[in-house]
Amino acid sequence: MSHRSAALAVAVFMLGMTSCGRESKVVWSGLVIATNVPAPTPIPAEFSWLEGTFKGIFGYNQFQVIGQSRKILKTGEEDWLAKSNYFALHVDSKGTTRDSYLLNLKLFQQEKLLLETDAKLSKTSPLVIKGPQVGNGLLVLVLVIE
Amino acid sequence: MKTFEEKFTAWIDGQLTGKELVEFEASLPDKAAAELEKEQAQKLGAFLKEQLGAHSMTNEEFFHHQLREQIDHEEGIGAGAPARRSGETWWTIGRLLWTGAASLAVFIVCTFFIMRDEKVGGQSPLLSQVLGARVDNPEANISIFETKEHKVTVLWVNGLESLPSEYAAQ
Repeated sequence: MSHRSAALAVAVFMLGMTSCGRESKVVWSGLVIATNVPAPTPIPAEFSWLEGTFKGIFGYNQFQVIGQSRKILKTGEEDWLAKSNYFALHVDSKGTTRDSYLLNLKLFQQEKLLLETDAKLSKTSPLVIKGPQVGNGLLVLVLVIE
Repeated sequence: MKTFEEKFTAWIDGQLTGKELVEFEASLPDKAAAELEKEQAQKLGAFLKEQLGAHSMTNEEFFHHQLREQIDHEEGIGAGAPARRSGETWWTIGRLLWTGAASLAVFIVCTFFIMRDEKVGGQSPLLSQVLGARVDNPEANISIFETKEHKVTVLWVNGLESLPSEYAAQ
């Protein structure tokens, strides 16, 4: 009887672990224009905690979102688009590991493919891509698992 | 000189006779109560004799009993499946030790393989990773780094064509 109870407890634990591993996550993807202005607007809430890091990396004081997508990933094999007037970021999730997603990213300028990359996006580590210069600023792609 | 208790025991057992019996019975303070006690003691004695007698064995019976026990034991070993005595558990100290050691070994092996898989390329599994990148401009160059603060993974692309400011529109 005690062996059966132990086996049942182990089975329930394993099931719990499995279901925890498959919980859905939200990926925020953004097209961000970084510029230097005399009176910068507050940094968007989605990555406000990265403000100091972003200013240090790019040397700009304002970060404005021009296109974004918040995608709930259930299977880990979804795709989505974050777009602005002239740019589009296509994200194709190819699968999932324990704490991350394997992504194929394509940055389009209208119809033109500017950049393609394969990346592993981790829950504890945002992914940032420096894009082309736009006017006096810079296009930055940001991906964060919320 | 017998004590009162010795005489009383002998009286119950019916071993007092003659003058000794008469004197003892005359010395009893309550002969009726003593007679009742004697009767109960004799009944108890008879009952015990009856019960103990049922289990007692003669030498011959005891020998046969031992022989049968020996034969049953040897047949049990020969069959390869000795019956487990009630209350005996499979988890002996030796088996517990072996099971513990085996579990520890499995844990170490699993940990080794998991750590090896997750440390591919010398990068922490907690960090995002850029696995590859392609740009349309052959003169563009790419670098990858991680910031210490917030563990941000950065793909730094230089050499992309600059665009006019109207491309910053939402």
